[in-house]
Formats: sequence, C-alpha cells, structure tokens
Amino acid sequence: MKDKCRIGVYICNCGTNIARVVDCEQVCQEVGTLPGVAVARAYKYMCSNPGQEMIIHDIKEQMLDRVVVAACSPRMHEPTFRKALEASGLNPFMLEMANIREQCSWVHDDPQSATRKAIDLTHAAIRRVQLHEPLEKQEAPYTPTTLVLGGGIAGLTVAMELAEAGQQVILVEREDRLGGNVGRVDLTAPYLDSARDILTEKIVRAEASPRVEVLLNTRLTELKGFVGNFTATVEDDTGLAGDRAVGGVVVCTGYRPFDAGRIGSLGYGRLPDVITSFELEQQLRTGKLKTRDGKTPRYVSIVHCVGSRNARYHTYCSRVCCMTALKYGHEIKSAIPEAMITDVYVDMLSFGKGGEDLYRRTSELKTMFLMYEKEDYPKVRSAEPEDDCGMLLQVREKLSGVTIDVPADMIVLMVGMEARHDGDEVARVVGISQDAEGWFIESHPKLAPVSTPTDGVFIAGACQSPKDIPDTVAQARAASAMILAYIAQGKVEVDARFAEVDEDRCSGCRMCNELCPYTAIIYDDETGRSAVQSALCKACGTCVAACPSGAIKARHFTDEQIIEQIEGVLAWGSNQPS
Amino acid sequence: MGFEPTIVGFLCNWCSYTGADLAGTARIKHRPNLRVIRVMCSGRVDPTFVVKAFASGADGVLICGCHPGDCHYLEGNYKTLRRFELLKRLMLAYGIDERRLRLDWVSASEGERFARLVDEMTEKIQPLGPFELGPAFQNGTDLGLVEGITPTPEVSHG
Amino acid sequence: MAIRANPHLIDELELYGAQDVVKCYHCGNCSATCPFSGDSYVFPRKSMRYLQLGLESCLRDTLEPWLCYYCGECSDECPRGAEPGETMMSMRRWLTARYDFTGISALFYRSPKAELLAIVLLALLTGLGFVLFGLSQGDLAVYSGDGAFLPAEKVHLFDWTMAGVLVLLLGINCIRMWWFTIGSDRSIRVTPLLYLKQLFQVPLHFMTQKRYRDCDRQRPWAIHLVLMLSYLTMLILIMFFLHRVQHGPGIDWWVHGFGYAAALGLIGTTIYALRGRLKQSEPHYKHSHETDWIFLVLLLLVSVTGVAQHALHRGGFEVAANLVYVVHMMGVVPMLLLEVPFSKWSHMAYRPLAMYFSAIHERASLNVPADDQSKTPAPQVA
Repeated sequence: MKDKCRIGVYICNCGTNIARVVDCEQVCQEVGTLPGVAVARAYKYMCSNPGQEMIIHDIKEQMLDRVVVAACSPRMHEPTFRKALEASGLNPFMLEMANIREQCSWVHDDPQSATRKAIDLTHAAIRRVQLHEPLEKQEAPYTPTTLVLGGGIAGLTVAMELAEAGQQVILVEREDRLGGNVGRVDLTAPYLDSARDILTEKIVRAEASPRVEVLLNTRLTELKGFVGNFTATVEDDTGLAGDRAVGGVVVCTGYRPFDAGRIGSLGYGRLPDVITSFELEQQLRTGKLKTRDGKTPRYVSIVHCVGSRNARYHTYCSRVCCMTALKYGHEIKSAIPEAMITDVYVDMLSFGKGGEDLYRRTSELKTMFLMYEKEDYPKVRSAEPEDDCGMLLQVREKLSGVTIDVPADMIVLMVGMEARHDGDEVARVVGISQDAEGWFIESHPKLAPVSTPTDGVFIAGACQSPKDIPDTVAQARAASAMILAYIAQGKVEVDARFAEVDEDRCSGCRMCNELCPYTAIIYDDETGRSAVQSALCKACGTCVAACPSGAIKARHFTDEQIIEQIEGVLAWGSNQPS
Repeated sequence: MGFEPTIVGFLCNWCSYTGADLAGTARIKHRPNLRVIRVMCSGRVDPTFVVKAFASGADGVLICGCHPGDCHYLEGNYKTLRRFELLKRLMLAYGIDERRLRLDWVSASEGERFARLVDEMTEKIQPLGPFELGPAFQNGTDLGLVEGITPTPEVSHG
Repeated sequence: MAIRANPHLIDELELYGAQDVVKCYHCGNCSATCPFSGDSYVFPRKSMRYLQLGLESCLRDTLEPWLCYYCGECSDECPRGAEPGETMMSMRRWLTARYDFTGISALFYRSPKAELLAIVLLALLTGLGFVLFGLSQGDLAVYSGDGAFLPAEKVHLFDWTMAGVLVLLLGINCIRMWWFTIGSDRSIRVTPLLYLKQLFQVPLHFMTQKRYRDCDRQRPWAIHLVLMLSYLTMLILIMFFLHRVQHGPGIDWWVHGFGYAAALGLIGTTIYALRGRLKQSEPHYKHSHETDWIFLVLLLLVSVTGVAQHALHRGGFEVAANLVYVVHMMGVVPMLLLEVPFSKWSHMAYRPLAMYFSAIHERASLNVPADDQSKTPAPQVA
C-alpha cells in the first residue's frame, strides 16, 4: 500500500505569510524526494481557485491518490481542500494538512529553524496520509415522531409547533393535567396578561389535535437507540407500559419552587400569613385576598430572593421573581386600593421589554422599596396586640443603614426556582447530564442552548435554567425547529470517523463501556463482546487509547497513522549525528 | 549554538490546538522546538505514543488538553489525567527525567499561555541534553515488556 | 433597636409639597451632583431614603434639609424625575411644622384654606382694632405729631409687644429644633465650650447667608441678600426710628433714604420672585406651594402699602395716608404673626441655627465612634 501511493504535496506560500520565514522551495525540494511523493509544488495561494485547480489537475493528470497540503491551520481550510479532492473524484479523507503558518511561520523568527520545522511537519503528513483510508458518509433514517417530556408551556409549545408542521407528537405528562407551573399563575408580568388565556388556548389545541397524543399520569422509563431511531418506553400510573418509536426527544420538565420553610427567620410555616408566591397566585385567581383569619390585609410585604442568590441555598438568580413581585404590587393594589405595599429586595432585576416601565409604574403605586443584603434575610415576628398590623418584618436596610420594622398583615415570599427532584432520573433515562444545581446541561450555553451532547435529545424551558415565559417559548420553538430540520432531511449523517471494535480482538473486559461519555458502546451478552454504535460515537478516541487489547480502532486517527506522524516529525533529527 | 531539543506535542483539536493557532494569529513568538500532532481529544493519547516518541528520538513529549471540566467530549481529559499519573511513574521507573514529559491544559483562548508553555518546556529540557535510551533498552522500537525492571521506590507525588 | 417604618409618611409630606418621591430608586446622582453633599452629610439621597422608609423620627432629627439651598441641580440630574430639590423643600416645610409646638404650623401647611382664613380673620381683627384704637387716639386727618390717628409711640409699643410674642414663640420652636437635632442625640457629647466657640456661626450666617453663595449659581443668593437686607433695614427703621419715619411731611434723608432703598429692594425682589414663580424661570421656582405664594403676596402688599402711605402723607393726603396705614397693618400683623413662628419666615432662625448646629455636630462627632443607630446616624467626617 505504502509503496503504491502517489502523493501530491503542495507547499503554500500564503503570499508572504509563510514564505517570509519558511523557505518553501527548500521544503518542496526536501519532501519531493520522499518515497510515495509523485509531485511536489510550492505555490502562492493554495486555497485560491487556481491553487485548487492545480490540485485537481494534478490528481487527474498525475493519477494521484492522496494529497498533502502544507499551509495554514487545517481548522481554516481543511474543508476547502476536501472539497477540491471530491471535485476531482477522490475521497475527501485522502487529504492531510501540515500547519506551517499559525504554528510555524507566524510564531518563529529564525528562517532556519522555521524551515526545519516546516519540513518535519510536512514529512509527518506525508507519512501519515499513506495510511489514510477512504471513509464513506454513514446515514440512518429519521423517524418523524417526536417524544415531548412534560406538558407545561414548553412542552405544549413544542407539541403544537410540530403538530402544525404536520408531524406526530407524543406528549408525556407526569401529572394528571396539562399546564405545568404556568397553570398555577393568575397574571403574567410585565403587561399583566392572563396566564390562563395563554395556556388554555394551547391546551385545547393540543388535546384537539389529531397529531398530538397526550399521555397524562405517564412517565418515560427507558430510552434506547440513537438519534432518529429511539425506542421510548412509557409507563402510566396503573403500571401499563408500552414502547414507542421516536426520532427525537424534547425534555420540557420544568422546575419546582424552593421550599421556603428551609429559611426559619422568614416565618413560613410558623406564622399563618407568611405565604409563598404560588400560594398568593392561588388567592389572586379566586379574586379574594385575605389573611388566614379572613381579614383584608392593609400592609403587604413581598420578600425577594428566597432561596436564590444565597450561598447556603442556591447561588443563582431565579430570574423571574423580581418582575413577578412587581406584578404582585399591581395586582394587590387593584384588589385592595388602600393597601400599602413593601418590596423587600436585594437587587431589582427588572429586565427586557416592559421591565423598566413595570418597575417605574410599581414605584408610582407608592410601593416602599427596601434593600437588604442577600446573606442577611429579614426576620419576621408577630406584632403586639396594640399594633395596627399582624406581623413585623425586621430588615437591616442597606440604602439607609438603619434597621427598621415594617408593618405587615401578609408577607409573600418570592421563592426561587429549583431543579426538580426527579431530574436525575430523567437525565439518566434520556442520557443527558445535570450541572451542580441539577439543571440539564446544554451543548453550548451561548451558541447551542437547546441541544445536548446527546444527538436527538433536546431541552427547552426552565429545566435547562430558570427563565420566564418568553424565553421558554423561544427555546421550545428553537427545539422544534431543530427537530423539523432532522425530519426535513429524513435521515441523519453519522460521523464517518467513529470508532470500531474488532470483534476478534475484543476480550469483553467492558472497560470501554464505562469510559464513553456518550454511552455509545454497548455490550452484547450473547457474543460477550462490546460494540460501538457508530451513530452515537463522537470519535473522541478515549476508548481507543484505553482498550487493553488494542481492539478498538479510531477511523482516521488510527494508532498506525499517529505513529507514522511521530516518526515523521523526528525523522530528520534521528538522522543527525548526536 | 547550544543543543536544541525536539519536543513532540499531542494537542487536542478543540482546545489546545486552537489555542496554539491563536498564538499564531496573535503572532506570539515562541521557541521552534515543538512538533505538533493533532488528535481529536487528549483522551486519544495512548501511553504507547509517548514511549514511541521517546524511542524515535524525541527529547520531550507534551500532552495538551482542555481544562478539566471543559473537555469537548465531556470527560476525555480526566482519562488523560488518570493515565498520565501512571505513565509518569512508568517513565520514572525507566529512568526518564520527569521534566521531559508534561501534561498541561490550554484552552482555545490561551494563545499566550501556550507560547509560554512551549518556551518553558524547551528551557527546562535544554540543560538535560538529548534524550538517550537507558541501557535497559535493546532497540528503540521494541515496546515489549522489559524484564528485570521494577519501579523505584521514590516516586514523586505530583 | 429597630425603628418602626411608617408607610404613610409620604402621603403626609405630599401635603407639604413633596412630589414624585416614590420615583426615587437611589441611584445617587443627586448626591453626586450636589455641591454641598460630601463626607459629613450626604444629601438629598439620605433624607429621601428616610422619607421613603417612613422613618419619621430620623427625618425629624436631621439637619440635612436646612443645609440645602435649592440650586436645583439634583432635580436636573435625576434620571427618574423624582424632584429631590422640591422634596427637600417640602421637608423644610414639614420640619417647620414639626418644630412648632402649637400645631398651628402643621395646620396651615396642610390646609391653605385654613391659613387664608386665619389671615383674613386676623386682618379684619387688626383692621377693626386699629381703627377703634385710632379713633380713640386722634383724628383720621392727622397722620403724625399731636392728635395723630395712629401715634408713633403707641404703635411703637404695639410693635415691640408683638416682637416679644414672636421672639418667644420662635424661640421655643428653636429650642425644640435644638433638642431634636442635637440635644437628644445620644451618640455625641457636646461641651458648653463647643457651643460657645461656634456661636459666631449664627450671626455670620444670618447676615451673609454665605453658604448660599457657594451654590453654583450666585444670582439666587444675591437676590435673597438684597431682600433680606432690605427687610432688615426696614425692620430697624420701624423698630427704632418709627417716629422719624412717620414724621413729616418733609423728607429726612438720613432715615427716609434708607427707607426708599429698602422699599425698592423689597418690592423689586418680591416682584422678581413672583414673576419667577409664575414663569417657572429658575429651578427653585418650578414648584410653588400655597405658602410660597401667600408669603410673597403678603410681603408685596405690605411693601406697597408702606410706600403708599408714605407717599400719601408726603403729598398731604392725610386721611388716605391713615387709611392706607390701617390697611398696611392689616397686612403686617397677619404676615408677621403667621410667617415668623409658624411658616416660611421661620427659616431666618432655623437656617443660621442649622449651620451652627451642624458645625457643632461635626466637631462633636470627631471624638465619638459614629455607629450608633438609635438616632440619626452620626455623619462620617472626612
């Protein structure tokens, strides 16, 4: 194989970027004499059209079967040259690049050592490319049915987006009703629209749609397979289970509220009129705002950051509570016009469209804003019988430096968002990870917030991190779009560079099974051998390096190829007298 | 002109190779002694590569990966770290100076750091002179089990 | 020890002219831009905070509103339009009402109708009283000398009695001010020596209002100085030289000269202020409480009638002069009786005292750790 190679070697000058320091002609001459090299040229700009034409022409005329380009970083132009090879009829993987710009001419001043280095790197590439094998793109079909886990606003949005695009959806909801946490809310900030209106429409449409199968009181207990070809096992409360074939999964399991009882000084559980935000929502929805003994509260205090932004509970901000608290200011004032409202906050995070206006409008309601230090929760106690209020909230007020007692008949605690207690179960079943706080981890926090490292499994909404309804809906629609992209292709491309287990060499030790971060390696009990599911394999090579039998081969990064590179870079040096 | 060591570097595609490219884009000059071999993940680096490098004439070997917690493939660099601990002891057992082998983390944005790393390693190896196989080795490419060698008791805990 | 918050305090201050207090979100731009705010006293933000929190006792005991001279920079800088300048002004009004032990001040500030009613009643009473008195004393056709309708010596006596009453009332209020701001402050100890050493501050600031001059714009200080000196001149003339003022019809330039200058000053500055408030031409004229108008109108009325009666007497229209004299007194008595102890004029005592007390407070705090929160937190001195 080695001897029969006909390699085309191209040294790029990159104008003066490379040629200024590296003597490209010398490189050309030295590598041109290596075995296997059919043609060696130096040219101004290999990536330009004439440059690529040169390669294509040589491939055809000189019957080259593999190409080395010594130029810029492969991260720059590997795709360019691969396309050139394809255009000439060669398999795109019969290419190797040597980085003699970013990692050579641009960082070294001495022409002699830079040229020496360029020669070594090109030599290594030439030796490596002789072991390259043509790799074909792998494809698998994509099942157009999608499993949506969670029937809250995120799940409903995904389901309807997909259904309206003509696709089948299985909506799995653990509880006995759709709507999730938004279903417990009365009005939404900042414009005070009805949550019920937003939700009811979605629920009605989901339930009516022939393409959405709603499974209440149901959980996902197992997910096998890979993107486009999952088998999901769902089980309901009666124990009835069934398998479904789905192409993708969108996890929309949401959050749970922080347990305010964990903070003793706030009095939750101890004093009957200290309630959580959700409990207030309940009252607001009935339209009656009363203390536990039926009186109309004259003083209402709202405490922010309960369980959030605190080293003892959760360090993160739960994002929605500040604006919700401001919303309460308006709702309470319209229910009880003579009420005096105190907003006990740490920082006012009232962001986005309408946020600042909401803050300003709430202060115009004569809301008293008190700032406290986030590690220093206020202390709530019952007032004396002669006081004109039910409770007193003592807070060390930061902006004035004075410790004050605020009268309160009702205290609302803005409890933060927490990851659900069954988060680890869900993560394990679908094959995604959780961060230190229990939120599901996305592929990239900025550039890929709804995908996960597990292809075909997406996350949307608060289960990824605390967020409000607009962001949840945006993420839900993003996840739907990504699924629709898969469905539109009808098939999934599997990375050609996956790892392969040689069955004859595999001893069944299963060391690789645990190592794979993508759980791409399965063990066949019958044969006693491990095998890589190529569609899931990301080609990191960890299992390859670990296999004690050397049974796993990494396509395009084989041991032999790498060893050729090692020998290539050291070839000149080892020939020198020591 | 003093002795110029040749150092073979295994750089992971996502973090350290990109970091090295960044040093280039920023024109951060450094010593020309490193020869880079790109792998997708530092977890791909088989310990035999390291041994092979030394046996083929490398004076030093550098393995670079993403910072712990940032591995593009989630956990590969942890595997590298584990292997490296054992590899280091093996190298010491063979009498290879530990300054010749190094594992470090370079992120995609750490061009400057990469450049300094190369300089530092080159400077550390220079006074040691060229790598020579100990008398226990018969043949540089024979990676089979060498008999009669047991790990020395003093193994540094890094 | 925690201080009880009174959420209704803002409502109360609104009666005194506070505007948009709720809009303040404590960015601190106002304090940063204020030429007087510094290490010792941070305002207006601190006072705004006390007000928002409803910390009545803290607000009552603070000197800060008196250290402000309403240059209006803070209101200009406020990004939310919270009008800190006017809020400080309302706090001065509120403090005036709090210092007053009778409760009359509070009544007048909260209810302009009550104040107007009081003015009218008092004016009528004064008018009636003076007419009756005049008839008992002499002839309506005689202005000065023997048989004068309102003989100078008797009026002089009346003036001094009234002055005594006013000094007493204002004096008691000043003692209350002292008690609230310094006397009851447990966080500092003030020695009699310190009181003595700083005593010069009172006449100094009374006469020059020099701190007002330190504002960025100097015109308000200049106008005010002219107004004040005019009034002081007039006061001295009336209190000590009434018979020579009233004497006539000749013009005694040594006396009347000052009188003319003072009258010019009074009328000129009063009209300037009235115009300013009508046109809202300067920051401190943008907002006007009823008490602001009442004061200016009374002052103008008194000045004009004063000039008129002098002119009439000089012109030989004795009856008219006497009648205008009565009208003049109908303006003077309510004006003095209401404004000095109970309303805007009290600032002539409170402001110099505030400078005096703040100087004492600063020096006294140097010797004592400043973190006692039971009272107004003591200022940090640079």
